[in-house]
Amino acid sequence: MKDFDYLEPASIAEASEMMLAHPGGSVMAGGTALMLALRQRMVTPSHVISLRRIRDLRGITHTPAEGLRIGALALHAEVARSPLVRQHAPMLADMASRLANPQVRNQGTIGGNLCYGDPATDPPSCLLALNADVVLRSARGTRVLKVDQFATDYFATALEPGEIVSEIRIPPSAFDAGYHARFLRTAAEHRPLVNFAVSLRKQGDACEDVRMVIGASTRVPTRLRKAEDWMKGKTVTARLAAEVADLGASEIEPISDIRGDGSFRRDMARTACRRTIEDLFNPAGSAATSAA
Amino acid sequence: MSKKTIEVVVNGRTHRAEVPARRMLSDFLRDDLFLTGTKRGCETGVCGCCSVLIDGEVIKSCLSLAVHADGHEVTTIEGLAVDGVLHPVQEAFVNHGGLQCGYCTPGFIMTTVAMLNDNPNPTEDEIRHGLNGNLCRCTGYVGIVESIKAAAEKLRGN
Ligand SMILES: Cc1cc2nc3c(=O)[nH]c(=O)nc-3n(C[C@H](O)[C@H](O)[C@H](O)COP(=O)(O)OP(=O)(O)OC[C@H]3O[C@@H](n4cnc5c(N)ncnc54)[C@H](O)[C@@H]3O)c2cc1C
Ligand code: FES
Ligand code: FES
Repeated sequence: MKDFDYLEPASIAEASEMMLAHPGGSVMAGGTALMLALRQRMVTPSHVISLRRIRDLRGITHTPAEGLRIGALALHAEVARSPLVRQHAPMLADMASRLANPQVRNQGTIGGNLCYGDPATDPPSCLLALNADVVLRSARGTRVLKVDQFATDYFATALEPGEIVSEIRIPPSAFDAGYHARFLRTAAEHRPLVNFAVSLRKQGDACEDVRMVIGASTRVPTRLRKAEDWMKGKTVTARLAAEVADLGASEIEPISDIRGDGSFRRDMARTACRRTIEDLFNPAGSAATSAA
Repeated sequence: MSKKTIEVVVNGRTHRAEVPARRMLSDFLRDDLFLTGTKRGCETGVCGCCSVLIDGEVIKSCLSLAVHADGHEVTTIEGLAVDGVLHPVQEAFVNHGGLQCGYCTPGFIMTTVAMLNDNPNPTEDEIRHGLNGNLCRCTGYVGIVESIKAAAEKLRGN
């Protein structure tokens, strides 16, 4: 690892100024992604600017009007065990409790996860299905983006020089159910090959409203808009679940890499989608078995 | 070289040290404090043999800078035995075939200590999922799971 100077700003404004003063520097939260990149010399920053002393980036709060606010420095483990997240966004807490492994959950932050832009991760699809806002702050001001505006491409985000993600907000919604399913290539893998996130409002056996997202298999998490439109207002049968999954799988542009090629990923995306819908509605004739 | 002064409590003892900013926590423990029980394996966050506790929570010390431990308490495998008497988790690994070559063992034991603190009575499924950040190339895991069940029982006072 190349030598660097290490800085610990105490506020968002100070961090932003340091980032602008040291354009060759890297911001660090938990370090789980950045350390790997440093060690492999994929990045060789002049300065590492640690966010760990910035109190405004911590904490998880909720208000009925604004919903959940999750500080960017919240660890995956904190998201998983937070009573507020478990109450108001149970699928997010559940996802965080299954992500990676105990050590990485105690080290990695939700903000760092989004800012790295690595497709092989779980929170982005979950947060997009929850219609979350990403709040970006700098010495110049504040911007609020949706997850699909923030994640612009493979390992790329909308962050501009001097900007940091301060928090994630999950607005109150009319959805009353949801699930985040992750499929691993082998049980020994840490990272997802594909994941599928769904938020919905049920009326008996029918689906009144739905948001569906595929992640980890596409450059950025992808809304399944045709599949959503097809499902809305219909009674969910095993046959409908299969139709929705077929449509959804046709809407994504899967990536090919060491974890799997595009056609395998499309198949697994279809399967994760169908099984999750079946699990949520349990229609007659389905072979409901949970996706991983 | 850019250096930083840090103060870290390791296994109950306070260490003040000047370290290069880029020093990994695993290297600080092994090369500066000579606590070589913590192992280096993959050094890419996959194998878990570098696992230690920070303020009681298990982490991988190859993914963390020593400067990030400043002001915190670190527990390594050397900090578990009291006056030469093994910790119940260590004892269980010895008695139930929880190791063969032993290279992965400090990591598994630190992960187990944290797991049983959070959940004193884990199911076999919870034990297996709780170990998914640690790899063992020798045992096939059966002895490790048995050791953890036995340790949990002992720690619960049975
Ligand atoms: C072994 C292993 C297994 C994993 N398995 C999974 C998995 O199954 N699912 C999954 O989702 N993820 C997985 N991950 C990824 C993990 O979730 C991320 O590495 C972690 O969340 C990144 O957060 P961090 O705080 O450590 O980020 P850091 O490494 O500190 O930072 C990552 C990047 O984001 C930037 N950054 C960080 N915080 C901010 C901020 N607030 N504002 C602006 N920029 C910022 C940094 O400059 C850097 O470029 C795994 C990682 C490892 C090592
Ligand atoms: S050496 Fe740290 S996880 Fe392998
Ligand atoms: S005992 Fe040899 S690697 Fe686990």
